[in-house]
Amino acid sequence: MKKKFPTWIIGLVTIMAILIVPIVIFLPRAHERDNPYAYITPTVKHKPHEELITKTFQSPQDVTLSCLSCHPDAASDVMMTSHWTWQSEPVQIAGQDEPVTIGKINQINGYCIGISGNEKKCSSCHIGYEWEQIESNGAYDFTNAENVDCLACHADPNLYSKGVNGNPADDIDLVAAAKSVAMPTRENCGECHFYGGGGNNVKHGDLDKSLVNPSEELDVHMGGQDFLCTTCHQTVDHQILGRSLANNYLIDDEEVVQCTDCHGEAPHEDKRINAHLVSISCQTCHIPEMAVEYPTMMVWDWSTAGQDLPEDHASYSKAKGSFVFEKNVIPSYNWFNGDNEYRYLLGDKIDPNQPTYILKPDGEIEDPMSKIYPFKISHSMQPYDTTYQYLLQPITAGKDGYWTNFDWDNAFRLAEEMTGLIYSGNFDFAETITYSPTTHMVQPKENALQCLDCHTENGRLDWEALGYPGDPIEWGGRTIEK
Amino acid sequence: MKRKWIIFFSLMVFIAGIVFFPTVHARSTVIALDPQVTEIHPQFPLLDAQGKNVIDSGQPVSTYQTCGTCHDMEFISTHSAHSDLGLSTFGGAKGTYAHPWDQSNGLYGQWNPITYRYLSMDGDERIDLDTAEWIREFAGRIVGGGPAEYSTTGQRLTESDSEDWNWNESGVVEMNCFLCHFSNPNNDARIESLQAGEFQWANTATLVGTGLVEGSVDQFTWNPKAFLENGDILAELITIQNPSNENCTQCHGDVQTSQLPTDLSDCSLDEKSQSNWLAVTTGQVISAQEISESEMNLAEKDTLTRPYDIHIARGLQCTDCHYSLNNPAYYQSDVKPDYLKYDPRRLEISEYLTKPDHNFANSRSAADAVVSGATNGCENCHDARNTHDWLPFAEQHMESLSCESCHIPTIVSPAAQSLDWTVLNSDGQPAASCWGVDEASEATGGVVTGFSPVLLPRENTDGSVYLAPYNLVTSWYWVYESEQGLRPVRQEDLEAAWFKDGDYAPEILAALDADANKTLSEQELYLDTPEKQAAVAGRLATLGLKNSHIEGEIQPYAINHNVVSGKWAIKDCSSCHSEDSRVTQPKKLASFVPGGVIPEFINTSGTVANDLVYIENGELFYRLDTTEHDLYVFGHDRVLWVDRIGGLIFIAAMGAIFVHGGLRIYSARKNTHPQVTMTRVQMYGVYDRFWHWLHALAILFLVFTGFMIHRPALFSAFKYYSVVILIHNTIGILLALNAALSVFYHVVSGEIRQYVPRPYGFFDSAIVQMKYYLNGIFRGMGHPFEKTPRKRLNPVQQLTYFLVLYALLPLQIITGLMMLSVLQWPQIADWFGGLTYLAPFHNMVAWLFAVFLIVHIYLATTGATPLTAYQAMISGWEDLEVHQDEGQPEEQNGEISP
Repeated sequence: MKKKFPTWIIGLVTIMAILIVPIVIFLPRAHERDNPYAYITPTVKHKPHEELITKTFQSPQDVTLSCLSCHPDAASDVMMTSHWTWQSEPVQIAGQDEPVTIGKINQINGYCIGISGNEKKCSSCHIGYEWEQIESNGAYDFTNAENVDCLACHADPNLYSKGVNGNPADDIDLVAAAKSVAMPTRENCGECHFYGGGGNNVKHGDLDKSLVNPSEELDVHMGGQDFLCTTCHQTVDHQILGRSLANNYLIDDEEVVQCTDCHGEAPHEDKRINAHLVSISCQTCHIPEMAVEYPTMMVWDWSTAGQDLPEDHASYSKAKGSFVFEKNVIPSYNWFNGDNEYRYLLGDKIDPNQPTYILKPDGEIEDPMSKIYPFKISHSMQPYDTTYQYLLQPITAGKDGYWTNFDWDNAFRLAEEMTGLIYSGNFDFAETITYSPTTHMVQPKENALQCLDCHTENGRLDWEALGYPGDPIEWGGRTIEK
Repeated sequence: MKRKWIIFFSLMVFIAGIVFFPTVHARSTVIALDPQVTEIHPQFPLLDAQGKNVIDSGQPVSTYQTCGTCHDMEFISTHSAHSDLGLSTFGGAKGTYAHPWDQSNGLYGQWNPITYRYLSMDGDERIDLDTAEWIREFAGRIVGGGPAEYSTTGQRLTESDSEDWNWNESGVVEMNCFLCHFSNPNNDARIESLQAGEFQWANTATLVGTGLVEGSVDQFTWNPKAFLENGDILAELITIQNPSNENCTQCHGDVQTSQLPTDLSDCSLDEKSQSNWLAVTTGQVISAQEISESEMNLAEKDTLTRPYDIHIARGLQCTDCHYSLNNPAYYQSDVKPDYLKYDPRRLEISEYLTKPDHNFANSRSAADAVVSGATNGCENCHDARNTHDWLPFAEQHMESLSCESCHIPTIVSPAAQSLDWTVLNSDGQPAASCWGVDEASEATGGVVTGFSPVLLPRENTDGSVYLAPYNLVTSWYWVYESEQGLRPVRQEDLEAAWFKDGDYAPEILAALDADANKTLSEQELYLDTPEKQAAVAGRLATLGLKNSHIEGEIQPYAINHNVVSGKWAIKDCSSCHSEDSRVTQPKKLASFVPGGVIPEFINTSGTVANDLVYIENGELFYRLDTTEHDLYVFGHDRVLWVDRIGGLIFIAAMGAIFVHGGLRIYSARKNTHPQVTMTRVQMYGVYDRFWHWLHALAILFLVFTGFMIHRPALFSAFKYYSVVILIHNTIGILLALNAALSVFYHVVSGEIRQYVPRPYGFFDSAIVQMKYYLNGIFRGMGHPFEKTPRKRLNPVQQLTYFLVLYALLPLQIITGLMMLSVLQWPQIADWFGGLTYLAPFHNMVAWLFAVFLIVHIYLATTGATPLTAYQAMISGWEDLEVHQDEGQPEEQNGEISP
């Protein structure tokens, strides 16, 4: 009679199942949303090095050797990156006979113009020591691992900074700096990237020192979620994800950091907003303005330099000329497929009566890969050779450069040797235009653009300039051949 | 070369300056909406009434001549509610209109206590406004044509005789095309001309500022430079367009187009209210702006991160919903066969442009349709059925509620609430109050809290009635008996009664000035006693106004704008399905009731409201009576006596169980237990037990979840009302299936005989059994009827179970299914009176089930031992006492355990 398992439990379970299963089946299910946090690799905590560093250092190279004693591959890894080489892999470009490399090391821009001959100062943002080699040897030895500056990215920025020729500033306590090493903070990266162009937010418009300690309103990721730069720019063996447009022509998809890495392809509840994603980048709506905290440089006019006018770092300096800075800048919007249509290379002929593009993003309405992206467009007046019709790179910070003598002619002559570009003796100034994508400082969703920011007369987007017959809310969107 | 750079640089600085400046406030700008420019319109001359070019004649422009060159002005002016203003409904039979002194359903002839002044009837002894004065008074709301052009007898006003007004000199107001179709009309100059009585110049005045004409009321001069040699006007001066939101704003108010919302912090009904009608009467602000960015001092402003109106924010124009009825882009035939999705036979654009219908689509409300003949409800664009899967009884909700009921949860600005014309303040204005302003903070500028619209039953064009949001404006005013009938006291008479030489009249002060400071404060301006009323009535009597008395009315103003997206809509079930349901929540209409007069509903806005208006603590309240409108809101509505009787029976049963149980325990202790032989019988088969326990659990859950649906307030911790409903419905269906299967089993197996009481000797047996329960059980006597597998039930059980299983259960299942199927087959439920009857019935039977449950559970303890019956229903085997005196039970099918 006694059974091991009481049958009434089976009965009870059956009856409950009959009642509960249909309820569970009919229960309304919450719409499961993709969790963006699932795609984030947590930042590894760096082991505190305070107690590991026991010796004193005679030179910064000693520090590097000390690092390499435990991290033997670190230098060789980092020396493969453009943070060290300051140039891209060689690429074949239309109009060039041979593949060319593009980077700070050999090209010019519309800001401080060029590095060649000015390394003494410019190397304060290079991760190597001993740039004085250039003056003694005529070239920098990119193969010497001892000169890799680990501290630039890993030391506490309050304890470490760089002086001239890529070396630590004079008063640096190398032991204290070495003891402070950790994973790079926003401030580490910002030491160079916030100050591109020679000052806070001069170059980018979407990267400035407010990101050291940002509010959620300013940057929803860094402020609201305390992201680091490396949270998105994920790094393996010192290979940092994400590529600057300025130093490239073509960028591999795999190298790009994208919103969709974490947020999925259809992140909005409203289908109509998701339908925008075929033609509109996330940044277009989610970065309504740039230079929210600090103004960014919109115009740099080298032609007015050298005069004894009242100086004020926001509008005029004798060394650099005149500036226009702006705050709360509404970006410009262009089609963009991720590559450059054109990148000015040293020696390229210009038409001085037309603005010359230092950088022009590629994209058009017919290109299915193109989306409308926000850009900062900065204008410059920079020197060119009126005889040879190409842009010139002066020696500025370098020895006897323009910033010493305020003599353009001399500055160009001195540069001939460094750049290999012949200077005819005649120069003038021409307009150049630089596009830089607005992609950082993503604001909270409440601040995102609304319908009427674009879909109205005099809205943000100039539909006809973008290639539409009119506002697509009335005229329909572009048809893309799939 | 250098100079070039300097020029370039200065240019850059200049451009940057332009760019930089507006960007400071860039996030808070509201972008001007696309004005729908019609660039295709040809150039044209401006003609006067004689058809001559105005530049030659210097006469006022005639829109009929000018626009009539191509457009059929006769058709347009006779197909326009904006123009008609009630003229076509003028002079109907008494009782047709809202007030006895009304003469039409429109602005021309219908009195409104908000604007107070009125068009007097012909032959009235005291004339408030005649037609000319009416035009001047309501200039801001008169677009021309209709009563501004024709008399009630259909004559042009210039041909009608009038002693008081020289129509030939003033001319009439032609329908003003410019006001709505030009990009830059001058409404102020137009109104000024009308107010000055220069009627024929009003349309010309509208052009001031375009460069075509200069001057003001007294003198207008056409500007020769604005005309080409052929007489056409310069194209660049005029942009002709579909009416933009700005055009509509001029008269309707607060269609937001500028950066900052109009300051709506008070809802004062002054002169401005005429051109701000929508906002003043309802608080609707039709703007794309985020509420949190408004300039108003709003409570919890930070949280209001939605636009005032989702449609405007999504780029819609007024005319997208309020389109011309014969516009071929929108036109829909009334008759559409099933096999047609779209009927391509419609007007050509050119035909439409010649005769565009100027009646515009409006809401589904029957009141709106009376004016314009066609409707454009939410469902014309939205398919709500596709997006409301989550809503239990979605169809039922949509039948009882307009979309706006949930999608306009609050109005975040003030609106008119009450108007007391029985008194006048020192400015000659009535005492007034606003919805949506925090009274306590009024001294510090007033925090705008906004308000929830009241839901009123609204009749639609298709005859259906559902709840829709409204604002209620309550007014009180003096009415007197004239020779011609009841009339509201004219404003000038009212002023004459209240004031004397610019001060309050002594008689008034004597009655009202409590603190004797010769002036009347807000608190003193209130006719709360018969004495005060008599003082005012006495003053009116001295003016010759007979039998003056106070009347009151409640005007509902429909709220259809300020719609929110699903994210902000009312989704919380408990906002309606609860004790303080939004549907029936009492609304305080006024904190005073002049003369104790309870105002009456004016159902001119399509409402069919006539519900509970009552005074409580001197304040006036309104409450919707759901039963009046065949509504039964679960969780809120209940029939009191059902709950009371059901509860009483339940409590009585509980009491009886306690007494009976107590006595049993007591007697069990006292009596010695005779040794009885026990025998073990298989009483219940597997299926018996299965259906029993499935029933038992299902009914238990149903009673419990049903109670939660019925009284959600008692389960406030349990917030998932819709889930409870889902569980209740699902289990209900399972129970119905189980009941059907078990009936099938009982019938097929013949077991049903166990439940059917045998009529022969039934009462005798029942009495014996009852006697046992009431007496024998306490004496330790055996059950009078032997329990055997073939005959398990005693006569009382038989009857009870028969009733429960074959009467109560089917009734409950049927009423439950009818409530569930009320969407698909509402007529079935309607046969039984609809939800208002079905629900309380279901509720009553539920009480009986609850009673049965506890009695059943208790009586199951009356077996050989208290737990025997339970064990039997679980294992199937029951221990039975062997009663020697009545003989060994016959051994039947049931096996005897070893």
